[in-house]
Amino acid sequence: MTSLVRYLAADVLRGQRYLAPLLVFLGVMGMLFSSDAGQPLEAYSGSSALLYPISAWVAVVVATSEDVVRREITVVSAGGWARVLTASALVAVLFSLVLAVLASVWPVVTNPHPYTAGEFFVGLAAHTGCALLGVGVGLLFARPVLDSVGRTVLAVFSVVVLTYPLGRVTPLGWVLDALGHNRVSPSLLGAVAAGAVLVAGAVVAGVRRA
Amino acid sequence: MVLLDQVSKRYGRGPWVLRDLTLEVSGLTVLTGANGTGKSTLLKIAAGVLRPTSGRVERPASVGYVPERFPSDVRMSASSYLAHMGRVRRAGANDVLERLGFVGSMTAPMSELSKGNAQKVALAQAFLATDVLVLDEPWTGLDPGAAEQLVALLEGRTALVSDHEGHLASATRVDLAGGHVTIDLSRVAAVDVLEALEGVRSVQTRGSSVRVVVAPDRSDQVLAEALRLGCSVRSVR
Repeated sequence: MTSLVRYLAADVLRGQRYLAPLLVFLGVMGMLFSSDAGQPLEAYSGSSALLYPISAWVAVVVATSEDVVRREITVVSAGGWARVLTASALVAVLFSLVLAVLASVWPVVTNPHPYTAGEFFVGLAAHTGCALLGVGVGLLFARPVLDSVGRTVLAVFSVVVLTYPLGRVTPLGWVLDALGHNRVSPSLLGAVAAGAVLVAGAVVAGVRRA
Repeated sequence: MVLLDQVSKRYGRGPWVLRDLTLEVSGLTVLTGANGTGKSTLLKIAAGVLRPTSGRVERPASVGYVPERFPSDVRMSASSYLAHMGRVRRAGANDVLERLGFVGSMTAPMSELSKGNAQKVALAQAFLATDVLVLDEPWTGLDPGAAEQLVALLEGRTALVSDHEGHLASATRVDLAGGHVTIDLSRVAAVDVLEALEGVRSVQTRGSSVRVVVAPDRSDQVLAEALRLGCSVRSVR
């Protein structure tokens, strides 16, 4: 599995399509924290809300990095769709977790309010939850579940946009509500668990559809 | 050895591409047949890329696969790609590229390789497999010298190969029946009974009539069964 993850990660890095979500992430993070972003946990709510669609975008980039024919060769070489889609999900999660760590460290460095270790880890949990939710949504609508890139973009965009107004109905809402009220809540860990379940579900859906 | 037992395949609710095909590959086996007879689909099922709609497939752990066309937009170098595929398979390097006369750059992106050299890289990754090879038109783009070398490389291997050009004269040949017969019936019959008949590729209900598409060698049996079911036949084409 490690060699498969390394291969897929190397392919994504060579493809450079990851640059678009990365640059959008860095640009918006720069804007969010260009001035006083508020109390520590409150400041994390903006970056958490940002990480959700960015992670979905990253997941689509990872899932579609290999073209259909090369993916077929990889599936045969690796011994089946389950292994390849699991490795692909791991690569998307790894990329998104790097962004989650970056989003957690950024305000510690730039925000004028001092951060405790506890607040940092709460932020890291919040970002991890949002990243996993985004990866899950991205993988759920990417190849091989949906074959057309157009349908993937439309489905991921629609789900991401619709998630925000639903508020506390969704795990993303749990995170944003807790952070927005500068409150530590067990629902943050619930969002992490929900994100992990969504990623696993997306892998299963892909294996069944392939 | 690869065993396909009573394998059928259709994409969604489309016509049957393969029906009740049984095939045992224990040596060098060549697949022939006209375009659209399901050769590539059969190869993908044998390799494990596609699941059959029904039927059973047994294959060993290490299968090498070359698709009908190797993608031309790969940004990774041949050297890097083969190294990664070797690690994924836990296999050592092979000398297939040298034997096929690869002359391109091993370090440049594969998108810069000629079609023939890219095909040699595709073959080299497939030959990393130790048990069975599944090759779809592997001679595509190869020069005559490389084509001869590929024949030599395949000697003694267990492989399922689609071959239009007769490179493997001594191999076991399996011909997928080409063409089809369309039977229009003027009365709605038991559609599920017709669908289940051997050789039937699709059954479409159109108002009060039914159109059955069937393999040529099974059309007589399907016609007889339709008549037995009380259908009247409008046309056979």
